[in-house]
Amino acid sequence: MSEVPFFVPDGEVASRSRMADFQRFCEGRLGRPFSGWLDFHAWSVRDFRVFWRWLLEWAGLDVEGEADPVCVGDECERARFFPGLRLNYAASVLAGAGVGDDHPAVIAEDETGRLERLTFGDLRERVGRVAAGLRGLGIGPGERVVAVARNDERAVIACLAATGLGAAWSSVPPDLGSDAVLARFRPLEPSVLFAHGHSYYQGVRRPLRERLAGLVAALPSLRTIVSLDGDTAAVDGLGLPVTTLAGLASMSLRPGGQEEGGSWRRFPFDHPLFILFSSGTTGLPKCIVHGAGGTLIEHVKEHRLHSDFGPRDTLFFHTSTGWMMWNWQLSALASGTTVVLWDGSATYPEPDQLWRVVSRHRVTVFGTSPAYLQYCRDAGISPRERVDLAALRAVQSTGSILFEPLYDFVRDHVKDVLVQSISGGTDIIGCFVLGHPGLPVWRGESQCVSLGLDVREQRDPAGGPAELVCANPFPSRPVGFFGDPDGSRFHEAYFAKNPGVWTHGDFVRIHPRGSVRILGRSDGVLNVRGIRIGPAEIYAILQDFPEIKNALAVEQEDPRSPGGSRLVLLVVLAPRAVLDRPLTLRIKKALAQRASMNHVPDVVADVPDLPVTHSGKLSERAAREAANGRVPANLAALRNPECIEAIRSHPALARPRPG
Amino acid sequence: MGKHLTYDELRQLILDWLDDHYHFGDAATLVRNDDMSFLDNGVLNSLGFVALIVYLEDLFRITIDRKALSRENFDSMRKIITYVTNHPQYQGVAS
Repeated sequence: MSEVPFFVPDGEVASRSRMADFQRFCEGRLGRPFSGWLDFHAWSVRDFRVFWRWLLEWAGLDVEGEADPVCVGDECERARFFPGLRLNYAASVLAGAGVGDDHPAVIAEDETGRLERLTFGDLRERVGRVAAGLRGLGIGPGERVVAVARNDERAVIACLAATGLGAAWSSVPPDLGSDAVLARFRPLEPSVLFAHGHSYYQGVRRPLRERLAGLVAALPSLRTIVSLDGDTAAVDGLGLPVTTLAGLASMSLRPGGQEEGGSWRRFPFDHPLFILFSSGTTGLPKCIVHGAGGTLIEHVKEHRLHSDFGPRDTLFFHTSTGWMMWNWQLSALASGTTVVLWDGSATYPEPDQLWRVVSRHRVTVFGTSPAYLQYCRDAGISPRERVDLAALRAVQSTGSILFEPLYDFVRDHVKDVLVQSISGGTDIIGCFVLGHPGLPVWRGESQCVSLGLDVREQRDPAGGPAELVCANPFPSRPVGFFGDPDGSRFHEAYFAKNPGVWTHGDFVRIHPRGSVRILGRSDGVLNVRGIRIGPAEIYAILQDFPEIKNALAVEQEDPRSPGGSRLVLLVVLAPRAVLDRPLTLRIKKALAQRASMNHVPDVVADVPDLPVTHSGKLSERAAREAANGRVPANLAALRNPECIEAIRSHPALARPRPG
Repeated sequence: MGKHLTYDELRQLILDWLDDHYHFGDAATLVRNDDMSFLDNGVLNSLGFVALIVYLEDLFRITIDRKALSRENFDSMRKIITYVTNHPQYQGVAS
């Protein structure tokens, strides 16, 4: 572990940060100073009710009702935050921490050169009008609305309008395969579909009509389709009324999402806001319901305190509408921060396109992934030599582990700025570990654990790496899973392994100084090239291959790959089947078309058998160990330990060498 | 000393790589001729080019100067093969 910090924030900048301001606020209330960050964080955990109560007050969020009790219950699994409070997420976002109507809110740009700039005034006006139109269609609390949406300002308007009325929002990008979209949306029984009629990627216009037709046919609960881009030809004739975003806005002459007097209706703190999806090793993707209050207060904490976002910031987090970072960056508006949206390929029309966006819009905080930074490094792209990055003050990275060389790449080829590796995810719509405007940055590590969260190492008695757990209640714990009335799936996903505490599925090492190193996934979920992949979606598609009797998808360490690993698919063939090149390519093609390119394995290897436990369960962990050339620690737990050697010595699985 | 590949062998090797990573059996159809632009015809994007370059570096134990990564040198089948076979470190593949 390196002993010299990679970056030390300027002391004056740190003392002017919102984190420092909030710390002073708390010290004033307590009547004593904290001895440092670790003391402050320990207090925020020990007295988490006071912490969240004071954060709510300090942030000045527009809420009504009683802030007490802050949290009912002491167990993470069942605790409820702020049962007496009511708020409206969209209204808080649109409030922008009090910025005026002229303040820039959204800058949306795409591959074709289309550029839209909305001020907060524009956004407030357009969201209000669209909400009025949606209300006219009967949209309100208890409904789910879904979107197949490009990452542009129209998706933002639709989302805020729908959630402002109390509907729950769920979106996917246009390039997600049809099987994957259906697996996500069908359980939700949505009432409205928002959709773009076409997408652009790498300079190619792709009509979406065929895909949308299949989706509409499979979602009988739909009552209306709203065309986001006015391309109604893509959705006409599908048996449902079609309107456009502009059409909705014109249904009312005055903004009508609000109640009389211009305020938005408030909903309970736990009111369903976003439904995100997480695919695991078995079954359909989990539909994770996030509450409005938990999402808002967690994001405000991460944005204002840990990221120091404010009205002078312009945030560009490269994402699609299907990743939780889209929801995360949307909430940055609530801090008065301007949000830049990019729709299209990261490398089109220019290989360094994202850096051009950063430069053109004077972005102060650029959010990206290790995969993108590694692409830049491998391509010899040195942004500092190509574009003006004067406004940039921080680079944030998430999706997978940001290894040491990429920190150096940022300093040497981008700018000597704060590099913040942040990690958490879909399950909590936020971060467990992240940045801090005043703490040193250590290569390969996140700066700190999130305030108010009792993140710990759960030791492995067998001596393996520790698991990341969160031992105390936190507001952005999901409300639950959709379609899981007794909470049994929810319990199984996060609380069965270590009763009473949230088990996240990551290995972690927390340094005594407070910085944190994520070591990889501890469950069967894959993270390849920075994208989290549930192997269950791969297995579902392989069901249509009679040649395949059984399969396991595992990560194999690969120092040359972005994120440090590649996807390996181990298959056991049916009698007389042969894994020849045509079959391998058919498997890959099916996964690319029906799931996504991210589900395509780098290697397909046929093996005589897959490791099975004595209870008959396939052991992904043992297969992963074998694919990485190791002997699993507990061979005795396997019914067929002899299969391990066949995997370890498989020629197709020769381990990649470092570059 | 490695085995020098013929033009057709190198061509097939690149087509196989394209199939393995992007086109899954359609690469030969997509690459209609060896002079067509990969970028303009959806054969590869910039991310894909970098991945192909890393693969070729690994396979042939050569180092490709990133400043040479340009349309002039790489944006077609023929250009890639010409660049690789003229590379001063190129000695074919280990036989």
